Amino acid sequence: MSGLENKEMKIVGFLCNWCSYGGADTAGVSRFKQPTDLRIIRVPCSGRVNPLFVVKALLNGADGVLVSGCHPRDCHYSDGNFYARRRLEMLKRLLPFLGIDHRRFHYTWVSASEGARWQQVVKDFTEVIHKLGPLNLTREA
Amino acid sequence: MSVDKLKDAVKQILNEVDIVIGYTEGFDKVHATPLFINTQDKVDQLIWDQRCVHNLASYLPSLKRKKVGVIVKGCDSRTIVQYIQEGLINRENVKIIGLPCSGVISLKKLLKAVDFANIDDITFEDNGNVNVKTEKETKTLSLMDIAPDKCKTCQYPTPLIYDILIGDPIKSDKPKESVYEDIIEFDKKSLEEKLAYWQKVFDRCIRCYACRNACPMCVCQDSCIAESREPHWISQRATLTEKFMFHLIHTVHLAGRCVECGECERACPMGIPVNTLKRKINLEMKELFDYVPGVNPDDKPPMYTFNVDELKIKEHKIG
Amino acid sequence: MRVGVFICHCGNNIAGTVDVKAVAEAIRKIPGVAYATTYMYTCSEPGQDEIKQAIKDHNLNRIVVAACSPRMHELTFRKTVEKAGLNRYYFEMANIREHISWIGEDKEANTKKAIDVVKMAVAKVMQDRPLYSSSFRINKRVLVIGGGVAGMQAALDCADGGLEVVLVEKSPSIGGMMSRLDKTFPTIDCSICILGPKMVDVAQHDKIKLYAYSEIDEIKGYVGNYQIKIRKKATYVDWTKCTGCGACMEKCPSRNAYDYFNFGVAPTKAINIPFPQAIPKKAKIDPNYCRHFTKGKCGVCAKICPTKAINYEMQDEIVTEEVGAIIVATGYSLLDLEKLPEYGGGRYPDVISGIQYERLLNASGPTAGHILRPSDHIEPKTIVFVSCAGSRDKSIGIPYCSNFCCMYIAKQAILTKDHIPDSQSYVFYMDIRSPGKGYDEFTRRAQEDYGVKYIRGRVSRIYPKGKKMVVKGVDTLLGSQVEIEADLVVLGTAVLSNPDAAHLAEKLHISYDTFGFYVESHPKLRPVETNTSGVFLAGACQGPKDIPASVGQGSAAASKVLALFSKDMLESDPAVAKVDINKCIGCLKCVRTCPFQAIKDKELRDGRIVADVIETVCAGCGVCTSTCPCGAIQLQHFTDNQLLAEVNALCLA
Repeated sequence: MSGLENKEMKIVGFLCNWCSYGGADTAGVSRFKQPTDLRIIRVPCSGRVNPLFVVKALLNGADGVLVSGCHPRDCHYSDGNFYARRRLEMLKRLLPFLGIDHRRFHYTWVSASEGARWQQVVKDFTEVIHKLGPLNLTREA
Repeated sequence: MSVDKLKDAVKQILNEVDIVIGYTEGFDKVHATPLFINTQDKVDQLIWDQRCVHNLASYLPSLKRKKVGVIVKGCDSRTIVQYIQEGLINRENVKIIGLPCSGVISLKKLLKAVDFANIDDITFEDNGNVNVKTEKETKTLSLMDIAPDKCKTCQYPTPLIYDILIGDPIKSDKPKESVYEDIIEFDKKSLEEKLAYWQKVFDRCIRCYACRNACPMCVCQDSCIAESREPHWISQRATLTEKFMFHLIHTVHLAGRCVECGECERACPMGIPVNTLKRKINLEMKELFDYVPGVNPDDKPPMYTFNVDELKIKEHKIG
Repeated sequence: MRVGVFICHCGNNIAGTVDVKAVAEAIRKIPGVAYATTYMYTCSEPGQDEIKQAIKDHNLNRIVVAACSPRMHELTFRKTVEKAGLNRYYFEMANIREHISWIGEDKEANTKKAIDVVKMAVAKVMQDRPLYSSSFRINKRVLVIGGGVAGMQAALDCADGGLEVVLVEKSPSIGGMMSRLDKTFPTIDCSICILGPKMVDVAQHDKIKLYAYSEIDEIKGYVGNYQIKIRKKATYVDWTKCTGCGACMEKCPSRNAYDYFNFGVAPTKAINIPFPQAIPKKAKIDPNYCRHFTKGKCGVCAKICPTKAINYEMQDEIVTEEVGAIIVATGYSLLDLEKLPEYGGGRYPDVISGIQYERLLNASGPTAGHILRPSDHIEPKTIVFVSCAGSRDKSIGIPYCSNFCCMYIAKQAILTKDHIPDSQSYVFYMDIRSPGKGYDEFTRRAQEDYGVKYIRGRVSRIYPKGKKMVVKGVDTLLGSQVEIEADLVVLGTAVLSNPDAAHLAEKLHISYDTFGFYVESHPKLRPVETNTSGVFLAGACQGPKDIPASVGQGSAAASKVLALFSKDMLESDPAVAKVDINKCIGCLKCVRTCPFQAIKDKELRDGRIVADVIETVCAGCGVCTSTCPCGAIQLQHFTDNQLLAEVNALCLA
């Protein structure tokens, strides 16, 4: 995309199969253009996303991590995203204390029909990560 | 409080339980050590003073199927409350002897105060004075100067849960706001400063797992994912990344469960402020869910429950 | 490990913006990848044959297909690798179409991204383990929730197909919204005349067990084996004794009870039978109005009842039924008139809703079929219909079309002319939506043969002026203001989901949209299935629907149940949670957090307590896996190691 030049950031997305992964598919089917930095990992439910996956990704070299699930009350597994919300919020509040910009981690809700919303999320998040630049948490190559 | 009252109480409950856990003299004058009493004749070995630093409640989950008596200070009692919340012990199998406490010593601070000299004797006065006799000199210190940080802001000098309370209850004279003052202060630093700090302190970690082993809430023990390949969250490489990861595993697993007993920091041979991240999360748990670990046996740990409408969690905007 | 990777061109869909050859070349270099190739259409029959052939020729034991979304073709390719002798879970899909080629414009960046994504799939497939389904027996009984026309149709079709049906209806009679309608479009059939016989069929079918005035309290279990707790609400009348003679209703002194059946057009008695054709035709006491309950003394009905059926002490009763599948046909509700203050809804008696007007038109309604306006019981001569009263109005949170209002307004306007030949009807509309068979002709008939005046535009205000209601609006075709002095205003109020729809969805573990309508498994290809296997949808609970569509869905849902029950055993999905009992420390946090109560504690022979997954109940969400501190419970096919492999493949690269 324009403005991103050839430098890509490493962005990992954990998307629940039923809503957000479907939303990303919908965005694709609708040809909603997006920046190319994001790599998506499919999980059954946002409740499957242990906050430690986010930590692991950031420590291993990701510059940003995005988690997206079904909207609250609309979870395919009825309660999974309710647990996710609490646990991911905990992590989001811990990160700045560790010296990691909280903007590098975002969690949100996108339904399978919200292709346009997904496009916006990817665009906005990628832009933020580009602004923040690369993250090197442990000064290791 | 005379230790005799404690001994009488232990003698009595020994008829009802398999074992009572208390404190006795350690290998030298400054150390106490846990004492496991299963016969009446061992009761006389019991001690109770400012050297009794250990959180004896930590033994309870592994003795879940036994009837156990345990001696706890106010801070230690929170561990028991948390165990009850998480169903890790059977309350009816535990006899709790509570001891109001106005502070214990930190061995690390004590040694520093006497310039790491060998200590021959130590005595404690009711007024908070600690008399230390070293090879070089005899020194009088104030207990609060050599107490662990947790004692300085202690909100729970009297156990929150007990079957027998020995001695008069003590009310906390420490302001509530003081508990997390250091956390709030640290958080004011810039991201770069904070990251550099954690890089520095975690780099000291030798992955000895003493903090984990001492932690009363680290109930996984031999099943800890820090030492497992299935799942393989973390390798044995001695890199900063892996050290960082280990401490974050500990932190995330303790989220909303840490009772701030400080055993992790007491056990750490490298002086890493292991408890700090957990305390930061506790601060957030209070703010988000009005939850304080180890206070009310009927509470639910916040990471294992939810509200359909979370009043305090607002949807975040990107950036 | 010998991984085979197949990269699909998808014609130009992928190859147009991804250099698929370069992807194959890069992937070939990964240790463990024995074979990587590209193909024009991998999902085609020759494409699948090529996978099978390559498995044989190159001795491959894991397969990755990089193509479209796994939501599209994962099942297709799982079957392919299974046919070639591999376990179907030794397969991964990399989505390089929806997530790459269709959304990225820069071919180089797309190619780089595709390489990463395929690498992640390769890393995952190397961590995959073979999984095997197990079979379990199914209980071939079906629960139908809701006794409207969709639920009745589903119940009858299932019962005719030989299944035992449990039909639960929350109101005192089956029949639903259709039993309230006067005539039906576009044929002007008498609604109850065509519905009544169906209701009787339901009542008399020996395979259908009807629980009227009952609600679902609790649902436990899974496809094939559900345990349902049904709450039979207290009617204060022993229905085994009640003959439906109506003597109680006649003598009941409490005359001002709200008439739910007639949508409050006129009051009814505190003890009543909702309508003459009700099934079951049994009386029920409304304790909010009954003097025995409100004043503590009366007892007239108990005295008059020839069979001594009245029981003021009656309590709710819970019964348990076991079924193997559930059809949800709970229908819809309508927007409250009060929510439309600009139309005077709820304030002026002569502004009524479409469904209330149905009751005024109906021969067995409170006015015995004479159109008399509520305020003074005078026959109205000028009637204004307002369509989209709430519908398609984002400002009140109802952006959708209510589907059938255009049609029933045309019908009501036609019927009005039949009832009152010297009347004049006006219809304010936004668009006339009449896409069904014979529908458009019907709306034209209203305009051309019955002289109904259609005004394209919205109504801004309705207010009283003497005995008239002034309807102020705009005619957007003429571009002018319109003011009509009407005797009666009928609002085509928006169709809403049931107020307790979300509550029921949570019990059923099915999804619902922002508006409370239940979400089907696929909007086009799986319209009556839900994402919870064993639970099907029929009728307007899924979205506003007219009678033929509801009946069609009722039959469709029934056929789905019949197909499901054509087997004696079902195969379980093996991608469920599994406990490593050597690791499990018995903290049971998984038991507490499982949304499906699929985990229980189990005592081992040495007395240790560990978690134990009931495989058939586990839905595979993985909340347990992210809860377990020691990684002892792992959701199969999405284990920690499998996800970590993906994270590492990407981040450490």
